[in-house]
Amino acid sequence: MLQLVLFNLTNGLIVGAFYVLMALGLSLIINLSNVVNFAHGNFLAIGGYLAFTLTPYLGFWGALLVSPFLTAIFGYVIEKLLIRHVYARNHIYSLLLTFGLGFILQDACRFIWGPSPLPLGIPDILSLPITPDLFFVTWYRVFMVVVVIVAVGGLFAFLRYTRVGMRIRAGTLDLDTVSALGVNVAALRSYNFAVGSFLAGLAGVLAAGQIGLNPNMGDDLIMPSFIAIIVGGVGSLTGTLLGGLLIGVASALTTVVYPAGAEAVIYIIMALVLLIRPRGLLGEEGMLT
Amino acid sequence: MSDKIRLTTPRRKFLTATAALGGLQLTSPFIIKARGETPVKIGFIDPITGSLSALAVSEVEGAKWTVEQMNKKGGILGRPVQLLIEDSANDTGTGVQKAHKLIERDNVDIIMGDVNSGIAYAIMGVTSDKKVFHIVPGGHTDPITGKDCKWNTFRTCNTTAMDASAVTGELVKRFGKKWFFITPDYAYGQTLQANFVKKLTELGGTWQGDMLPISSSDFSATLIKAKAYKPDVLLNNMGGSAQINCMKQFVQFGMNKEMALGGALFEIESVRSVPKEAQAGWWCMEWYWNQPDVPLVKQFVDEISPAIGGKKPTARHWMSYVSLHAARLAAETAKSLDAVKMAHALADLELPPEVALMPGKIKYRAGDHQLMSDIFVGQVHPPGPGGPDDLFKIESTVTGEQAAGSVESTGCQITWPS
Repeated sequence: MLQLVLFNLTNGLIVGAFYVLMALGLSLIINLSNVVNFAHGNFLAIGGYLAFTLTPYLGFWGALLVSPFLTAIFGYVIEKLLIRHVYARNHIYSLLLTFGLGFILQDACRFIWGPSPLPLGIPDILSLPITPDLFFVTWYRVFMVVVVIVAVGGLFAFLRYTRVGMRIRAGTLDLDTVSALGVNVAALRSYNFAVGSFLAGLAGVLAAGQIGLNPNMGDDLIMPSFIAIIVGGVGSLTGTLLGGLLIGVASALTTVVYPAGAEAVIYIIMALVLLIRPRGLLGEEGMLT
Repeated sequence: MSDKIRLTTPRRKFLTATAALGGLQLTSPFIIKARGETPVKIGFIDPITGSLSALAVSEVEGAKWTVEQMNKKGGILGRPVQLLIEDSANDTGTGVQKAHKLIERDNVDIIMGDVNSGIAYAIMGVTSDKKVFHIVPGGHTDPITGKDCKWNTFRTCNTTAMDASAVTGELVKRFGKKWFFITPDYAYGQTLQANFVKKLTELGGTWQGDMLPISSSDFSATLIKAKAYKPDVLLNNMGGSAQINCMKQFVQFGMNKEMALGGALFEIESVRSVPKEAQAGWWCMEWYWNQPDVPLVKQFVDEISPAIGGKKPTARHWMSYVSLHAARLAAETAKSLDAVKMAHALADLELPPEVALMPGKIKYRAGDHQLMSDIFVGQVHPPGPGGPDDLFKIESTVTGEQAAGSVESTGCQITWPS
């Protein structure tokens, strides 16, 4: 039993790491742009499908590198064409816009790539377990965790040490002052949306290698991202990290004792957090650490 | 610069938005309508979006093609057929709402649907209430033609009891009696596992298993449990994309070298979507395109293939085809579109060979309105010499009556309206 719990704890951390990657991009866009991007899961699907299309030409590794950048460019264009028009409006506009956009992207995937699930081929070596005892830890899952660590580290470094990153953080603090200091806020938001889309695209490629592709994949994966953000604390990237890992572990451990509740448990955690500490584990009312 | 960053999106707004996302996912935005000009209206409800969409799309493709062909030959009772397709979005509330809409606003004569057993079961409540003739082409849960059967509802696909009965003996004989189940936690999965367990325990077997949410995409936690149990056979009862992911992870974890794999259904739509290593195991097919002993099957395959992108038709195409022709036969035998007359006419009506497309003689049994179709038990394999859809080898054929048992054993007692 102890071994089973330890196995599931490890497994939960792996699954949670993936939730983190999805949630970070979403969190980033919320923080600066004041837009809850309901279409984030569909950007994720676009990333996966682009990788599927590119794999025959570039191989898995090439597709993994290129597809997130294409998703970022796509996100940049969408922000310029659509999202930027709702920043100044009541938030219901952005909710409706991104919600509708999500359906359009989902149907576009269905139209272009078909409704049937598609497999994304991954290199054979990644399909193998690392040891016979840790049979559930395939090299692909190790690789996923490494990519998540690199991406999270890279994101935090980007926000702290690059000019654009610092402006994004400053803009999240006080957009009006940043604008008054001569920073092009419109461009800043576009870059920020592109970075969020990049993370969605990266998560999409990794998800596609693990669970394959279908037009609805974004819907299935996006709810844990929202919950990770709420549990961790809206506005706190570190909280999102913690929230993602927490719900991943909770879901895996629940499977040991009550499998049918594996999905419900993450909603229960969310409800408990909202009741006991409404601002989330690391969130402060209106502030991000 | 301070590390503290003001959050410009209020927390309450974000929470409201998340709640809205959860709620709005229950709605369906996606409606397809095939418009004809005549009054024999058939409402076709299926989860065109959601995790069962690949199966639903095959059913819809089959339905569209069948109606097109039917209209070329005079339709139903000399009137063209109009097919109104609605997306249930794999959600029971949406499915029921669409059934109400089709019956009350569009005034359909016949309802068909749904792939999702839970939705099909819920729609039955609406159609029996409104006294509308209803065929369930592809929802498997037993009560539909079992303890909750209705006078107006007929089912084309098998019951879970039939599929479980057909494949259990073969799996026990070849691999052993210690089984682990991975089953979706909804109507279909629950009745399927119960039937497997019943058959297995009759044969002296033992089992463990997990019931998981229908939309699960990660099975590692359950597979860890399965491996610890060391079963002879792993029964993968999941459906749609969940089944595919379960198969992939089973193979990735190397468990295919330690235990046999099988289950009730591994439909061609799903087999196509898994890597070659996962195209394996012992399963039922409710219909298969390669039946060399039935010449009419080849003719059907040759005719429908060009209309569905050159692929071979699957059991889902066949289910729509049979269901629509059964409705036509019922109306023509009854010489009416009255639901009661059609239901009486279809009961025990032997389907002609060009409709049945099976080796045996098949009919919707009068006692429970369940189609007694042949069941093919065999092995799934990577594409063979017959092309990309040559994915299954039929090892044995079980008749519907053999697998279904008596009407009494299903618990069905049909009550007709006075």
